Amino acid sequence: MRQIQPRRNYLGAVGWLWAGNYKVERYLYILHRITGLGILFFLLLHLIMTTVFRIQGQDVWEATMAILHNPWFKIGEYLVVVAFVYHALNGLRLILQELGFLMVRPAPPIYPYRDSLRRKRPWTIAMIAVVVILALVFFYDFIAGGW
Amino acid sequence: MRNTYLWLLQLITGILIAVLLGVHMVLMHLDAILGFFGVDATKITSWESMIERSNQGIWAGLYIALLAVVLYHALNGLRNVILELTPSVRTERVVTRVIVAFGIVTFVFCSYVPIALLSA
Amino acid sequence: MDKNNLITFKVQRYDPEHDRIPHFQEFMVPSGKCLTVLEGLLYIKENLDSSLAFRASCRMAICGSCGILINNYPNLACHTQIEEFHSDTLTVKPLPNLPIIKDLVVDLIPFFNTHKSIKPYILRQDAEEMEKPTAEYAQPPRALETLLQFTHCIKCGICISACPTSASDRLFLGPQALSQCYRYCTDNRDEGEKERFPMVDTDHGVWHCHLAGACSEACPKGVDPALAIQLLKRRLVSRAVALGKKQQPSSTVPSPAETKPKLPFPGFTVK
Repeated sequence: MRQIQPRRNYLGAVGWLWAGNYKVERYLYILHRITGLGILFFLLLHLIMTTVFRIQGQDVWEATMAILHNPWFKIGEYLVVVAFVYHALNGLRLILQELGFLMVRPAPPIYPYRDSLRRKRPWTIAMIAVVVILALVFFYDFIAGGW
Repeated sequence: MRNTYLWLLQLITGILIAVLLGVHMVLMHLDAILGFFGVDATKITSWESMIERSNQGIWAGLYIALLAVVLYHALNGLRNVILELTPSVRTERVVTRVIVAFGIVTFVFCSYVPIALLSA
Repeated sequence: MDKNNLITFKVQRYDPEHDRIPHFQEFMVPSGKCLTVLEGLLYIKENLDSSLAFRASCRMAICGSCGILINNYPNLACHTQIEEFHSDTLTVKPLPNLPIIKDLVVDLIPFFNTHKSIKPYILRQDAEEMEKPTAEYAQPPRALETLLQFTHCIKCGICISACPTSASDRLFLGPQALSQCYRYCTDNRDEGEKERFPMVDTDHGVWHCHLAGACSEACPKGVDPALAIQLLKRRLVSRAVALGKKQQPSSTVPSPAETKPKLPFPGFTVK
């Protein structure tokens, strides 16, 4: 008998990003990961700015601030704010649901099946609505502050 | 129960960050709306207001505490993401050590700055 | 069967003896009302290409053999109507995140081994009773209801192929094993938490579930593995911080002689 090695078929990191026909929580998972990594990247820049540039005195600091008032940096800052708001509120939802709150009790499955995430989806939608509202509030401030 | 405690710390630091950085974000980015309510936050990044803050011990302590909390949350999250990509236990050990070393170095360097500025 | 209504099946073929990479092959399958994807595959095997390999057994969503990826969504072939998709082409692939043996057949043995590794059976401290049982353990209906949903798992591997963590993490236990771990830990006859928790509380265990919810969405039996995993997390946390009450494992059912006397056998009514 010949032994044949089965072919590996892992989706890999593509499987994180590709969410196909799955429902909204699957997309929130991707966004949570992307915003987390994005904020980590920003955190490193922010730490460099507030330590290396901060300690060199007033002239360097004000020069750095002048660079950061560039519209592109402002857009970047706005994206970081939105990412933070999303990551915080979705993280709150994850904490509640992973600790078993905002989940239903186990019940015998009766067709058509409705899993507990689907039954608690109104809360998820409400979370997304709060994120959108906060994003709009911060956007208004960015416009009003004149970039 | 090691991983459970790590996750619990992730949870607690997450809540702390959501509150503290929430205040930070509002002060930094909602200056027009805060001005409407009578709070002046437009000069928060100017050199004078920063010197005023960095001379107070409470701000330095707050910065260092926030740094520790944020670094734990960020690097533990990063480690969780990387562990999902590494197939062998040996690579995992390397990843863990690199991340812990990076965290310690960053913490020591970045907490040195507010302490040095206290007397500046 | 309406012979004019033809559906194109794009089936992923892979023969480990000849092919280096999988390729697609198209088959025209006559379709009609109430035809499942599995019946389409059986039609191909009977009439068009007998070399097509797929696994199926019961044709009624109870054996868990025919899990495949239909139009990029994992489902049981016997459980999916061709009409559901309202399209003329149907892409059929083997389940991802599991090794391919041939065509649509995936290797479920690592998956079963993971399931075995969390000890999916009742564990008790009293070894003597386990070796030589004298009576059954009592379980009230209310205790059964807390785990009945999770016992419906048919081990088809669909949640593994839906899970984004399983997609990249080969050592991850997967939604199936974790939900079964909860199913046995929450059983009131069981006291094996001390043996199972070290299995799931690892660097590739329960904390790598990030609640994407795809497993529960895709599960063809409504088991809701995501719910079981979150409840397992809740249990782990409550043990870690020593909060929440611990249920006493149930004792054996008292023998009938101790409860009440047996009814006397009625005498013959017909002489």
